[in-house]
Amino acid sequence: MPQLTEDDLYRTSTQYRLWSFNRESLLSLRSTTNESAAEGVRAALHAQKAAEQEQSSKQDSNGSPPQEVDCLSVGEEQKLVVFYCVQTMRFADFCEFPTNATAVQYLKRFYLSNSPMTYHPKEMMPSALFLATKTENHYTSLKSFVSKLPKTTAEDVVAPEFLLTQGLRFTFDVRHPHRGLEGGFMELLALATGKGQSGPNNGASPTQFQKQMVGLDPANGGNKKSRSAKEVVQRIQDAHGKAKEILKTSALLTDAYFLYTPSQIWLSSLFVADEPLARFYVDSKFPTPSTMKPTLLTTLGTCANLLRSSASADPEDSEVKELKRIDKKLYKCRNPEKIDLVGINKAQKREGHEDGLDEKVIKKRKLERERSEKEAEDIFGPALGIKDGK
Amino acid sequence: MAVSPVVTYEATSNIKVTADKAKSLAVRTNSISNQNEAPPEKKQGGQELAERLNHETKEKYVKDKKLGEGTYAIVYLGHLKADPSSKVAIKKIKVNTEYRDGLSMDAIREVKYLQELSHPNIIALHAVFSSKNQNLNLVLEFLPLGDLEMLIKDSEGIRYGTAEVKAWMGMLGRAVWFCHENFVLHRDIKPNNLLIAADGEVKLADFGLARSFSDPYRLMTYQVITRWYRPPELLYGARFYSGAVDVWSMGTVFAELILRVPFIAGNTDIHQLELICQAIGTPTEENWPGVSKLEGYVGYEKAATVPVRGKDVYLARFGTAGPVGVDLLMSMLALDPRKRSTARQILEHKWWTTDPRPTAKEDLPKKGGGLEKMGDDLKRRGGEVEDGRGDKVARKLNFGTMK
Ligand SMILES: Nc1ncnc2c1ncn2[C@@H]1O[C@H](COP(=O)(O)OP(=O)(O)OP(=O)(O)O)[C@@H](O)[C@H]1O
Ligand SMILES: [Mg+2]
Repeated sequence: MPQLTEDDLYRTSTQYRLWSFNRESLLSLRSTTNESAAEGVRAALHAQKAAEQEQSSKQDSNGSPPQEVDCLSVGEEQKLVVFYCVQTMRFADFCEFPTNATAVQYLKRFYLSNSPMTYHPKEMMPSALFLATKTENHYTSLKSFVSKLPKTTAEDVVAPEFLLTQGLRFTFDVRHPHRGLEGGFMELLALATGKGQSGPNNGASPTQFQKQMVGLDPANGGNKKSRSAKEVVQRIQDAHGKAKEILKTSALLTDAYFLYTPSQIWLSSLFVADEPLARFYVDSKFPTPSTMKPTLLTTLGTCANLLRSSASADPEDSEVKELKRIDKKLYKCRNPEKIDLVGINKAQKREGHEDGLDEKVIKKRKLERERSEKEAEDIFGPALGIKDGK
Repeated sequence: MAVSPVVTYEATSNIKVTADKAKSLAVRTNSISNQNEAPPEKKQGGQELAERLNHETKEKYVKDKKLGEGTYAIVYLGHLKADPSSKVAIKKIKVNTEYRDGLSMDAIREVKYLQELSHPNIIALHAVFSSKNQNLNLVLEFLPLGDLEMLIKDSEGIRYGTAEVKAWMGMLGRAVWFCHENFVLHRDIKPNNLLIAADGEVKLADFGLARSFSDPYRLMTYQVITRWYRPPELLYGARFYSGAVDVWSMGTVFAELILRVPFIAGNTDIHQLELICQAIGTPTEENWPGVSKLEGYVGYEKAATVPVRGKDVYLARFGTAGPVGVDLLMSMLALDPRKRSTARQILEHKWWTTDPRPTAKEDLPKKGGGLEKMGDDLKRRGGEVEDGRGDKVARKLNFGTMK
């Protein structure tokens, strides 16, 4: 009977198959997206201008030469997207984990192949959240969802959904590192209390592990060594708390999900929180000597640096200023043909019912099914973590 | 374990492999957006990359004729444009008719889980694309030989024995095991959702009710699984449950394969529970500690309590499976979900290696008649005709204390 390893499982996931990159491929994809969107913007603005001129002044037929539009750079796009990811987390404080985390990843994935110049993140945000409530089994009716959001209509939420799912290439599963962290946390606690098991080839006994942990160098910057098993437990809890916070912010806002596996991400978050402890954990997993360990440590090091470099979930004044500048710039380089998402959505829907299905029958069946579905999910009601009112 | 050495090492080196994949995406992108070669396509409103990829996928397939219709989808026969002899099933989901909340939960679940699960006994999802009017299309593996329900029902035309049952149950067992290893509950296992490939392989299909169960503290709805295949904990309104619900369904499918009629076929949820009590035994604190705390638990008079049925009772009805097979069946139908065997335990059971050996899939009995006949079969969907699928998410039991 085969035992599927976590890695086996991860390797078949769409997150791995479709949404894993290296830094170069990520940048090249974003550049392509940016260039193609910029081109679209120029073409659309040009067409708009041409139309205007034709209407207004036949006499001045040369018109002014089309002036070059100043489009967003890849870097600017990125800053803007990250900012709206932060907004998504705030905006969605009524959505429990993992809904908000998934919504953020949806936005990050969507903007790999779409530019904010074409679709403004502000408009994609509610849709990403709503889709995440559905994919993460936190579904609540659109009506009640909308009632929890400031200045948002049902149409605003649903209209971009189609674009969003297309941008997600119809993959909805997001693998988060949080569960792995919890597992590692439990393992560390077990090791600290003398109940641990080592990796298959690591000969240390539970008490040896326990002793090693007392002797670990202090966490970053600290100078006090733990003196007792109890202090070690406290230390693990502190590290766990910090790592968890990192997973909720930096891990989501950076490109960590695109570049690393969930295991690598949570281990790196532990690295940032308490490097000696993280190294100890890795050591406990590997026989010595091991050729894999250095490779892993290098990876964890670069991932930890990425996490440390994250934009703040709480932007400073200077950052806000920069964001405002970008947003202002965006105002002038948005693709005018793609602004009215609700309108575009309606038009597309009108376009066709290609095959002569019996619409009524389908409708009726669908309604029935939905009714029972709703009944089923409605019982979640307040358990969705949505505070009523406001 | 959270991180095996192999996991991380492989994963690290995998980034390179992945990079190639990424590159291929990027390269494609480049070639698509290469102005010198193909400028005109873009001009129609500046198609974004995602839109182009979708278009590309869509163009790969051709829809032929309609195969059948389910509650929320129409299924067509189709083929790869590049290979007219290939066959696929294209399941078209209507997204935009009435449902005000965007993409429906059914569609989302089906796509979400099929995208992740790749196993010989789970229907393969080859691709997904949307057509112009925002319909979602799932390109599925074409499974031309109907489903297990058809075979079970055709007791005149189709004869089979223990070796065949063993083959089918083995395939179902592997499918369910794989789902559970991936932390996915299917929640609608029944003969009609077990489709059959041209080579006789059984494939678990219809993931419209699936969900992941990786978070043990999240409430779940008990309104799942078609009634006849629904375990007692769900009938009692349990809000926390596990893979054991699918295992119960497997047990009832196993029994049905042998009996050739549904094993426990209640008319209502209450009736279903009554029949379970009769067939298996009355759930009590003794045989199922904690059962009385379930929201929908109904106390039973001592006198009315049916003791848990012993092996002799099963041997009398399911003796053809042999004593070892009966052990397996009983382990799937344990009242207490904690005592029910897991999918893994099922696959490790002695029955598979006990004689007779499972029939090779090529030699399994097949529904005759080909496509035309199948169309007719689709119209009669016994047992469920009056209910329709809408009822599969069963009516709420009126147990009073519902929030
Ligand atoms: N992969 C496939 N290959 C061949 N035929 C298929 C395939 N998938 C579905 N079909 C046929 O098309 C019909 C419609 O399928 P669909 O899965 O939409 O609904 P269903 O399971 O029949 O009904 P319900 O929606 O109530 O579950 C089915 O009855 C099935 O026989
Ligand atoms: Mg079905």
